[in-house]
Amino acid sequence: MASKKLYNPPKLADGLLRVLCKDSLLEEIKGDLFEHYQVERAEKTMRKANIAYWFHTLNFIRPFAIKKLGQHSSIIIMYRSYFKFAIRNMWRQKMNTTFNLIGLILAFTVCGFIYLHLQQELSYDKFHERSEDIHRVAWMSENPQTRTPHPLAQAMVNDLPEVEAAVSISPIYGAGLTKQSVTLTLEKENISFAEPDGYFVDSTFFDVFSFKFLEGNPATALKSPFGVILSKSTAERYFGDKPAIGNRLSFDVNTDMLEVVAVIEDAPLTSHFHYNFMMSYVTLKSLSFNDPWMTWEDFGHFNYVKLTPGTDVETLEAKIPEWVEGYLDWSEEGFERLRSGELRFDLQPIEDIHLHSNIRWELETNSSFSYFIIYGVSGLFILLISIINFVNLSTARSAERLKEVGVKKTLGAYKSQLLSQFVFESLFSSFLALGLAILAIYGLESSFNQLVQGHIAASDIWQSKSILFLVGISIVTAVLAAAYPAFYLNSLNTGQILKGTGQKKLGGASIRNSLLAVQLVAAIVMVSGSLIISNQISFLKNKDLGFRQDNLVMIDMNNYEDKSELVKAAFSQISGVEAVSAVSNIPGGQFNQHPIYAEQDPSTRVDAAEAFMDDDAADVLGLVLLQGRLLDQTMSSDSAGTSFLINETAMHELNLKDPIDKVLFWEDNENLVKGKIVGVVKDFHYKSLHVPIRPIIMMAKQQRLNYILAQVDAQNLTSLIPQLETAYKEIHPQDSFVLRFLDQEIAKLYKEESRTLLLTSLLSGISIFLAIAGLIGIVSISIRQRVKEIGIRKILGASIQQILLLINMRYVIITSIAMIVAIPISYLSMSKWLENFTYQQSINPLIFIITAIAAVTLIFMTISILSIKTVRSNPANALRNE
Amino acid sequence: MKGTQLGEFEELVLLVVGVLHPEAYGLNIREEIISQTKRKVAIGAVHSSLSRLQEKGFLKSDLAEATHERGGRRKRLFSITANGKKAMEKNHELRNGLFNQIPEMALKGLNLSGL
Repeated sequence: MASKKLYNPPKLADGLLRVLCKDSLLEEIKGDLFEHYQVERAEKTMRKANIAYWFHTLNFIRPFAIKKLGQHSSIIIMYRSYFKFAIRNMWRQKMNTTFNLIGLILAFTVCGFIYLHLQQELSYDKFHERSEDIHRVAWMSENPQTRTPHPLAQAMVNDLPEVEAAVSISPIYGAGLTKQSVTLTLEKENISFAEPDGYFVDSTFFDVFSFKFLEGNPATALKSPFGVILSKSTAERYFGDKPAIGNRLSFDVNTDMLEVVAVIEDAPLTSHFHYNFMMSYVTLKSLSFNDPWMTWEDFGHFNYVKLTPGTDVETLEAKIPEWVEGYLDWSEEGFERLRSGELRFDLQPIEDIHLHSNIRWELETNSSFSYFIIYGVSGLFILLISIINFVNLSTARSAERLKEVGVKKTLGAYKSQLLSQFVFESLFSSFLALGLAILAIYGLESSFNQLVQGHIAASDIWQSKSILFLVGISIVTAVLAAAYPAFYLNSLNTGQILKGTGQKKLGGASIRNSLLAVQLVAAIVMVSGSLIISNQISFLKNKDLGFRQDNLVMIDMNNYEDKSELVKAAFSQISGVEAVSAVSNIPGGQFNQHPIYAEQDPSTRVDAAEAFMDDDAADVLGLVLLQGRLLDQTMSSDSAGTSFLINETAMHELNLKDPIDKVLFWEDNENLVKGKIVGVVKDFHYKSLHVPIRPIIMMAKQQRLNYILAQVDAQNLTSLIPQLETAYKEIHPQDSFVLRFLDQEIAKLYKEESRTLLLTSLLSGISIFLAIAGLIGIVSISIRQRVKEIGIRKILGASIQQILLLINMRYVIITSIAMIVAIPISYLSMSKWLENFTYQQSINPLIFIITAIAAVTLIFMTISILSIKTVRSNPANALRNE
Repeated sequence: MKGTQLGEFEELVLLVVGVLHPEAYGLNIREEIISQTKRKVAIGAVHSSLSRLQEKGFLKSDLAEATHERGGRRKRLFSITANGKKAMEKNHELRNGLFNQIPEMALKGLNLSGL
């Protein structure tokens, strides 16, 4: 044979041909293609030859060449009979089938929901073009924050070649500042709303972010002073479906100050910030706004950069300290800390903000990765439990199909055919379950969203990734469930099967029992985990925050003009209002902060949150005075804002042993305020319990009083609220009346925790249900197989109790083993989770004891109920037939 | 048996099988067609045609020895059957007869207008 070198054609094409082509034609066709390929390869490049090979191969998909799949094809006939067998089997054992299907449907539904939720969490901010290149510049210090100086963005674009575009934005009020909204008014229609989520943005906003324009010109929209860009939903509030462009809006009291220059789409749900309207910084600068807020001094803006593709972020971050020194007017000591990395400008990938960033002044409350993991693991556990159920039940049931297998084998069925029959049957069940689960996901969409306050769209399951995931888990489930029975039954000797000797008892009990143990481990971890979560959350909810929150209502004061005195006076006239006060910030909200230091020790500077309040606030909030006195506006130093009330933490951090009457400096931006400490209050949690208590100073100056806090009589709320509104409207006829309850606002801080609690309780409930269902399946089969044994034992004098104990013993041992494995897993992982909290409830060992007792009791009861009928029955009945 | 009409491409294949006798098989039939008619033909198209011609009984085939350049696979050699010969002759006669019946005038007119 001539040994000329031969080229190998693409394997995949060959394989495809083998699958599709009639066997009788395969050889000559492949031969021709092969020969042709040799010629092509000799003349052309490999690529071209491969393409030609593929072309000719696919060209053989013609009726004459491909395998027949018609009415009379043996494959079709075979699968039709598998289908019949599957249906008949399922129908014959309705109870089993229902159990099996319900378990699978439940698991697939839960997994589908969790998958959709996690998918959504992961997709945050990915809608921006080249979102992987967009980063936020964050300031990492001992109390990291999102905000950095305004000129940073432009300086980075100018100096650093890696930075392609950058934008500086800042909420108009909001995050860090104390007011929440701005009143925009359309004068001619007299439409007015208090709009939250207003932003100042650089003209480069759309170079970095990709929000779509609906009206207006992207090139000029942010260049003109006094232009305002509205989101679509905001524009609709004022203008309906009429064009918005060119209309003028009033900004607070400034009549017709703004001109609508563009309307853009609302930020998608999966954005880490949302806007109602935005104005250019150009507007501020045109007012020759020389506020230090706009300089390198003030870390008060959100800066985003878009890097050139392929930039190494770490290298860029390493360049920043040296570069930024040219701009910052700092002491050498500050630079030293910058160089050592103690203070850092970090680039946070925008895609990671939602799940991973949880620092001071986030634009919106972000999610947290630990919850992401908890949901994911719970979903996997449920899936695991129900796959095991399905596997165990199909294995157990296969014992009842021994005869069928025997007959088929006698009639000449190949092993592979039996295997494919089993795989087909379990695929049929799992896809049936998947179909029903998808229906369930559609049906339960809104109630699920309501339950967890989510925004999941059921139709998202049709996205290729999601549907692949669901189909994938269905196939895995089916194959696992089919594998054992198929191999086991195949391995048996046909003659023995048909004779029925020695095969009464189904093997594989040890496998099933160990799978049961795995299920129990998963269920126990989930149950004890959710108990620990619930303990921690109720600990947070019940922890004394150090101030009063019940029966307190807060009313927003949105107007520029401070009429809080009038509102206070009007409110206190109303019967049912027990006390009223005006404050700049409410506990649980955002606080601005600036450095403070004592005159005697100027080197100890600490950042302190600040709040302005009137005399009554400390009373209304129930703050506890430790030293000195509370604020008193009748004293001139107090009303001038030079008397400070501080908290214990501030006292400790300032190293003041005897703080009363000590001189304290407060660096309010460019104003250095010198004043005296007049009192110290007991620490109270003015921020959420996720963070430790930090220093705060409180002043009585009449400024920035954004909220009225009123202590009300909870009995008459329904009549009280309209009275409050009437009184408020008399003073502020233009403004909308916004009333909230302080305790509800504080509860919102723990929204994610409450949601996790709800979900994990629900999921662990489901896991218990599924595990018990699996147990029932196994035990009922095992009892059926032991009927005779039980009968003989009874005849030999065993009591009912003894037999019950005997049956239970094995499962109690399995449970104990599962417990020994589960408890350390649960303990370690939950301690890790607890580390996320500043204030944590240590894990109570009682939780594990309760879980253990509950598990054993539940299992004992289930087994006893299942077996009691068999155990009580007359042993003669069991032994009679043979 | 299916209809015994010859399609245009089928006739071409049948003729080429004759031309290449006794070495006619899928690939060289295709090459011959390409070189003689300058048409682009896929290998699958030739095979499809060959299988139809065989079903109609115009061709018969035998497997030859395995060869190295085909990766050790045998090729199927085609030859024309008596029926095939008859069908070809019938087509040939029909065409010649019809062509001969065209009056001189018709072709002349063509030539004239061509000038």
